[in-house]
Amino acid sequence: MNYVVPCLIVAVLVYGLVRRVPVYNAFVDGARKSFDLSLSIFPYLAAIFIMVNALHASGLDVYVTQVFAPPFQLLGVPSEVVQLVLLRPFTGSGSLAILSDVYAKYGADSYVGRCASVIMGSSETVFYVASVYFAKTSVRRTGWAIPIALFCNLLGAVAACALCKIM
Amino acid sequence: MNIIWTVITAAALAALTAVDPQNVLSVCLNSCSQALTYALGLCAVYCLWLGVFNVAERCNLVQSLSRLLSRVNKLLYGNLQQTAADYVSLNMASNLLGVGNAATPSAIAAISQMERGDKLSRNGAMLFVINAAGVQLIPTTVIGLRAAAGSANPSDILLPNLIATALGCAAGIALVFAAYGRAK
Repeated sequence: MNYVVPCLIVAVLVYGLVRRVPVYNAFVDGARKSFDLSLSIFPYLAAIFIMVNALHASGLDVYVTQVFAPPFQLLGVPSEVVQLVLLRPFTGSGSLAILSDVYAKYGADSYVGRCASVIMGSSETVFYVASVYFAKTSVRRTGWAIPIALFCNLLGAVAACALCKIM
Repeated sequence: MNIIWTVITAAALAALTAVDPQNVLSVCLNSCSQALTYALGLCAVYCLWLGVFNVAERCNLVQSLSRLLSRVNKLLYGNLQQTAADYVSLNMASNLLGVGNAATPSAIAAISQMERGDKLSRNGAMLFVINAAGVQLIPTTVIGLRAAAGSANPSDILLPNLIATALGCAAGIALVFAAYGRAK
């Protein structure tokens, strides 16, 4: 697996050379767009980060987790990973920190640890993806897209907890 | 997004003001500088991938890729405009190869091609849901963390992870079909 991406990059460059494409100019022309792209993403990132950090600093995230733990337990999600399921759509780095906490507290090979791993692996930071994807468009109303994505991540989490019991 | 963000942020900031009023402004400012650092990091990553993508485009590799994936694309998106189809294929390939960093710039390019109005179109929603349902096949970061935490077999989550991911992604595609109908 370690070789796939590096080989791919080299292969593209070599193929460009074979096809007599001005590889150097093509690379620079493409790379130039990255600055504009990351600039247009920046304000959206700032908004998301303010929300996540305020949630964390105020302790509201712990409170919300306690409120939501019982309904999640009905779905088979153990209370130890509810915080991960709830925060995952908002922050990638924050949920990685929670995952490390779970490993430290319960062990990476425990049922809870494996649940948390699969939940992390099969989900995405929905709100982050939404803010970044639509940053360069005129889209203001996203309709069903975000609810559907959130539901899929929840479904993935419930499936993860069920699957870890039998696998 | 307007309602969700405003409600959560206002509630969190109000709670923080009640608990620790001196820290409100510094939390906000730190978040903004964190966002700036993050955006610069993304700029570096996108720089590499957009450069490589452009080389691949100029030697017609991307067009071959989108011909290869044309059946899948037709099923999911209907008749796409050629440039949009190219970026969608690039996005799909990046996801399947597990290069999440490369998936983002191609998805942004595809969505910019598809969206003209202020309401998200069916195909935009499909692309977003596929990417937001966590299509990454091999969770390299998680496996690395488990190994570091002393797991006996860090990659034994691969199979349940694959099933959970596939389930979420399939449900997402089905729900987009249910909410928006078939591709035109």
